[in-house]
Amino acid sequence: MKNQIPTEQAIFDHQQGSEPILDKTWLSPTGFFGWFTHVNQRKIGFRFVVTSLIFFALGGLLALLMRLQLVQPENTLMGAEFYHQIMTMHGTTMMFFFAVPAMEGLGIYLVPLMLGTRDMSFPRLNAFGYYVYLIAGITLYLALFLGMAPDTGWFSYVPLAGIEFSPGKGVSFWTTMITFIEISALTAAVELIVTILKQRAPGMTLNRMPIFVWSILVMSFMIVFAMPTVMVGSVLLALDRTFATQFFVAAGGGDPLLWQHLFWFFGHPEVYIIVVPALGIVSTIISTFCQREIFGYTAVVLSMVTIGFVSFGLWVHHMFTTGLPHLGLSFFTAASAMIAIPSGVQIFCWIATLWGSKVRLKTPMLFIMGFFAVFVIGGLTGVMAASIPFDMQAHDSYFVVAHLHYVLIGGAVLPFFAGLYYWYPKMTGKMLSERLGQWSFWLIFVGLNLTFFPMHQLGLDGMPRRVYTYLHSMGWEDINFFVTCAAFLMAFGFLLTFINTFISPHKSKSAGSNPWQADTLEWWAESPPRNYNFRHLPVVNSRTPLWQKAPIHKVTGIRADRRETLITTLLDAKAQSVCIMPTPTYWPFVLALTVGFGFLGFMFKPILFVVGFFLSFFAILGWLWPSRPWLAEKPPEEGHPIRGLQ
Amino acid sequence: MNNEQQATNADIDVSNFSRHLNGRNAPIWWGIIGLILIELSVVSAFTVTYLYLYMQHPQWPPNDIELPPLLIPTWSMILMLLSCVTMYLAGKSVEKSQPKGFVIYTFASVFMALLVLWIRWGQFDNFSMSWNEHVYGSLLWTISGFHFIHIVSAAIGTAAIGFFGVAGFYTKQRQIGVVVDTMYWNFVALAWLPFYFVLYYFPRF
Ligand code: HEM
Ligand SMILES: [Cu+2]
Repeated sequence: MKNQIPTEQAIFDHQQGSEPILDKTWLSPTGFFGWFTHVNQRKIGFRFVVTSLIFFALGGLLALLMRLQLVQPENTLMGAEFYHQIMTMHGTTMMFFFAVPAMEGLGIYLVPLMLGTRDMSFPRLNAFGYYVYLIAGITLYLALFLGMAPDTGWFSYVPLAGIEFSPGKGVSFWTTMITFIEISALTAAVELIVTILKQRAPGMTLNRMPIFVWSILVMSFMIVFAMPTVMVGSVLLALDRTFATQFFVAAGGGDPLLWQHLFWFFGHPEVYIIVVPALGIVSTIISTFCQREIFGYTAVVLSMVTIGFVSFGLWVHHMFTTGLPHLGLSFFTAASAMIAIPSGVQIFCWIATLWGSKVRLKTPMLFIMGFFAVFVIGGLTGVMAASIPFDMQAHDSYFVVAHLHYVLIGGAVLPFFAGLYYWYPKMTGKMLSERLGQWSFWLIFVGLNLTFFPMHQLGLDGMPRRVYTYLHSMGWEDINFFVTCAAFLMAFGFLLTFINTFISPHKSKSAGSNPWQADTLEWWAESPPRNYNFRHLPVVNSRTPLWQKAPIHKVTGIRADRRETLITTLLDAKAQSVCIMPTPTYWPFVLALTVGFGFLGFMFKPILFVVGFFLSFFAILGWLWPSRPWLAEKPPEEGHPIRGLQ
Repeated sequence: MNNEQQATNADIDVSNFSRHLNGRNAPIWWGIIGLILIELSVVSAFTVTYLYLYMQHPQWPPNDIELPPLLIPTWSMILMLLSCVTMYLAGKSVEKSQPKGFVIYTFASVFMALLVLWIRWGQFDNFSMSWNEHVYGSLLWTISGFHFIHIVSAAIGTAAIGFFGVAGFYTKQRQIGVVVDTMYWNFVALAWLPFYFVLYYFPRF
């Protein structure tokens, strides 16, 4: 080969004594300032998970505040304005700052480990996405403390959210930060897609990919096609508010319903963006705790893909009461019912896997059982709400609040916590306490049913959602009192898990590399894995590499003295080439700051957006600036590699 | 190389695999495809928004407002398409190790982009309606502005690539930067097609 590397001075990871060199090559700088330079996928993924859990706790605290206000009729704990702010912040936090980043974070942490590779395709982009997320979240909560939080609900319907009815800065914070944080989701999505398509271990054909990886792939594609719509929507809204464009203003020929279309074309898939990875977690944990391969691998994968597609055709069921033509509405009812088919297929495959196997009922599996019960109830009330006559009655009542929490807690929170108990040993090297875990699960499970089930009744009794108080004479007070108490019970359950994650590193026993005897590659690495994930890159020849008798073969000839990883072909994962990965750097952080400056500046002085745009250009230049000393080199002769560069 | 009969029941040695990734074997190539998919979703959201609002109105544009003339946007369309050709030639020059040709072609593309920007800027002045009078004007301004910003960033990026080219950075082995920049450039140029169609042709039917 012409452009062979000069092998004399290279050190490969299969050579004796290369381990300290690998350690050094993949090291993340230490210290406070070093923190801002990290790019390794496990560091970034871990940060995503931890940060999303903090936002979950914040969103939960806001929920408790809401419930305190509603504990008795005509309560004066807070006024309407503050209630609507924390309600909006709760919904926005849970959807945009907890659920999506949490799933992405798990994906970022686990996918490269499951694929048997050293890092993700664009490590610096990864870091950038994290800082964007962090900045957006901090900004939004600062707005809350300054009393400037948005107060128009998590879907900011116009005309309420227009400048005429919401003149303050609140909704501007919302549109700006929503646009901003979608950047983070989109970078993570592209990153995950490319990593999954191009960095699987040799031999890991698409057909052998772990189901969790499939679910992350489907999620990422959904993000790519859904999130841009809400970005366009919120940009148009920001323009309406800042420059008096007329997109959503009826008087100027615009159409308020356009907002609902744009929002829900994203908003419905959003729910599945959260749920699909959760389904992947469920399949993974069931398979491990039954110690057998998932029944109907192909059917499970295809139904996740189908759910991904179909969910783009359902958005209008959020708009049944807006007076759209009736024929169209019936179509969307039918489509909404259709989503039950792929969901059903999955459930039957899980039952078939569980059937006759000896299930180990450890905490992760308990959370999965909880998921079954809660998600099925949420699905049933969903089918009810998808029928138009019923929805006409229940729309905007507490019935919907009950339904959406059953779906989201059942479909995302419980599986996510299952995943937390399941992968915590991989991330930290320690097991979570089983006893605390079981307590936590049962409190959450009982608490959430006691909290949300009675809300169905409240809704049927006519209590509208998004009210900050209600009258004595309505007869809702007993149930509301009960619901508030139950919410605290559930919150206590979550608290136990948080405590568990804090004390277990000090108390509990070492996990070893594969405590659950699982089958996928992440359990082949040490716990916690080294900075380079695996000592050697693996070669795979089955769906369950760790359950095979034969030893795992390895890839040799990857260099240890610089960050290298293997690229494989798209479909059948044949080794194709070797990619040199970027090193730690400040630039992603700087870029996040400049982009954030542009977005925030826009809220106060639109011209600052242009300033941010050009500052960002310099940050990108710094980021991509070739770090090798190529400028000193003469332009090469034809066909010659440049010595010492590549 | 040797990809045909790669067995998975033995160790695989990759020490002499190429480290020069210039096409589909480079993650960044796929990353740009992802970026283009995202932007494509944005473009379709804008286009659908336009058509949706158009359908709400029996009269479009409203109040006998004039439609913008066709000739000038057609020129900018042609220039954009031409610049795709020069970008393609720039890529070919790297392939054939002709650094001079590369620099000339890239800056020719940037020059054409600047020309287009100049034309567009003049159009903004001549739009028959401001953005805050009616949603028709809002659409005209927003979509044109959106595309304007994209040409600006593509031009800046390509100019940077041109300067790296002057410094002799790109070679046959190391041309992925040029490849992906060209992909993005082509996307920006072609994205104008649907906008050109809805903004200038569609209302004439
Ligand atoms: C931790 C337990 C939780 C409690 C006690 C709780 C409670 C509440 C309450 C009281 C409301 C306001 C109802 C209203 O006034 O209309 C609400 C709204 C909402 N919640 Fe939760 N919630 C919890 C967890 C979650 C989770 C995990 C999610 C999503 C992943 C979520 C998503 C939402 C959304 C989207 C809204 C609608 C906000 C709006 O109307 O704009 N909640 N929740
Ligand atoms: Cu929906």
